[in-house]
Amino acid sequence: MRWLVIAEWRRMVVGLVRYPIDTIASTLTLFLVFAGLFYGARYITSSPIGGGRLSTVVLGYTVWIVMMAATGDMAWSVQNEAQNGTLEQVMMVPWNAVWVFFVRAVMAIVGMLVPVGAVLVALLAMTHVHLAWRSAALVPMAMVIGTAWGLGLLVAGVALLLKRVGQVLQIVQFLLLFVIVSPVAVLPGIGWHLAAMAIPFAAQVFLLHGLLTSGATATIWLWVESLFNLLFMLASGILLFMGADRLARRQGILGHY
Amino acid sequence: MLRVQDLTKSFQTRTGRIAAVRGISFEVQAGEVLAFLGPNGAGKTTTIKMTAGLVRPDHGDVLVDGRSLASHHDWVTARIGAVLEGSRNLYWRLTVMENLLYWAAMRRVPGRLSRERASHLLDRVDLLARAHNTVQTLSRGMQQKVALCQALMHHPPVLLLDEPTLGLDYESSESIKEMVRELAHDGIAVLLTTHQLDIAQELADRVAIVRDGQVVLEGQTAAVLDRFSRPLVQVVAAEPWPADLDQRLLGLPVTVTGPDTLELLPGDLGERALYALLARLAPHPLARVERHQADLAQVFLEVVGTRVGP
Repeated sequence: MRWLVIAEWRRMVVGLVRYPIDTIASTLTLFLVFAGLFYGARYITSSPIGGGRLSTVVLGYTVWIVMMAATGDMAWSVQNEAQNGTLEQVMMVPWNAVWVFFVRAVMAIVGMLVPVGAVLVALLAMTHVHLAWRSAALVPMAMVIGTAWGLGLLVAGVALLLKRVGQVLQIVQFLLLFVIVSPVAVLPGIGWHLAAMAIPFAAQVFLLHGLLTSGATATIWLWVESLFNLLFMLASGILLFMGADRLARRQGILGHY
Repeated sequence: MLRVQDLTKSFQTRTGRIAAVRGISFEVQAGEVLAFLGPNGAGKTTTIKMTAGLVRPDHGDVLVDGRSLASHHDWVTARIGAVLEGSRNLYWRLTVMENLLYWAAMRRVPGRLSRERASHLLDRVDLLARAHNTVQTLSRGMQQKVALCQALMHHPPVLLLDEPTLGLDYESSESIKEMVRELAHDGIAVLLTTHQLDIAQELADRVAIVRDGQVVLEGQTAAVLDRFSRPLVQVVAAEPWPADLDQRLLGLPVTVTGPDTLELLPGDLGERALYALLARLAPHPLARVERHQADLAQVFLEVVGTRVGP
């Protein structure tokens, strides 16, 4: 496992260092998209946006960026590598492919941590939202990252079979942005709680919000939903990827594009 | 070393199920080059990919040193290197050295050893000076050499080469050929597919020709060529034949094919026919006397009934 991590770490660092303009431009784009939405909404409603809802939106957007890093990178990586011919070499290494892509998803998120941190700081400054740091927030943060890994594997599995999933993925990602910041997890009724367990990040965002915003609370329900969602997404990602790998080898379509 | 046993694979298409490979078996020993030849769609690439573990066979198995790919996947794939057809096999935005170190680490080669191996291999293909250039800046021939180095970073005893010289210029092809020769000399078992039959003939110790997913001919290259060579002798004169040639050749199984050439088909007479012919032609000056030797292109044409290559 050490060698796998070393190999993917090196590849990620080289990509970030050799093409810094790419990294800076993508970070700036993430900030500008939010700024556009924020000031656009203010202009349309003619009133300042604030309060608990804004802090939820800021946190939700940040989580969404993490999710984008994991899923987008995995989908594009599989698609590009199938097109470029390296995918078959990757699938020939003496590791279970699920580990290779798991480590890749980890590296995609690790590579995004600094840019995501920078975007979060800029968003907080722009919106005047104040977050109160609590070490307990590390747990839901880890849950967010774990859920993103699961989602990344799920997307990688679909991309192994279908290859060109980029456009569909973009639609799904923007739908998820809406779902992530919507209050599914805190709506009353068992149906909403069950939905929050299945929808990635829905509960974790509100759990984070509860821990990082003074005055808000993190209920036991949010903890249960967040944990269940993490396990559900991880298990789904791993199982779907393993199934897709088997199917792709059986159909002989690993190298197809 | 490498044993492929009764590999079978069919694919579902819109028009039904198509058998791509039908019970292919062969062996490649250490230090041996097996040329795996066949027309497009014969099942070569599917067989290579099954051997590499990229396509799961419906039936059959691949064994390296007696261990099965099906039951020891990681152990077997750790002992196989491959340069696949049409693939770039490398990350274009990484340098040559970064690529080699990446693939070495992916195959569990320790850092210091992988650097030594990378330098050694690049030196061997005269690319050490380009170690820190990105792959996208290299010529196609250089990229193919780096792909070969990549496949060798974990020092595999088995090397799969699917069309390694496709699209390369003469010089690059020669260089790849030379390296394959050296690798076989070092004890690596090489499975090679190519449409360039002259290259196969030069490199291969043995050949296997596939058609419609089945091996239709297999054997030592020299033996296969002998088997398809006709017992024909061509005689080329140093100057045009004399006017009384027909009279001199009476009773011999000879066909005059040109003003200064003729062919002898000895038949049951064997060597005696050649001696008789030479005696009757004397003292007419001859340029050369050649026995017919088949080449792989002729063998291929006879066995498969289709021309291959450019």
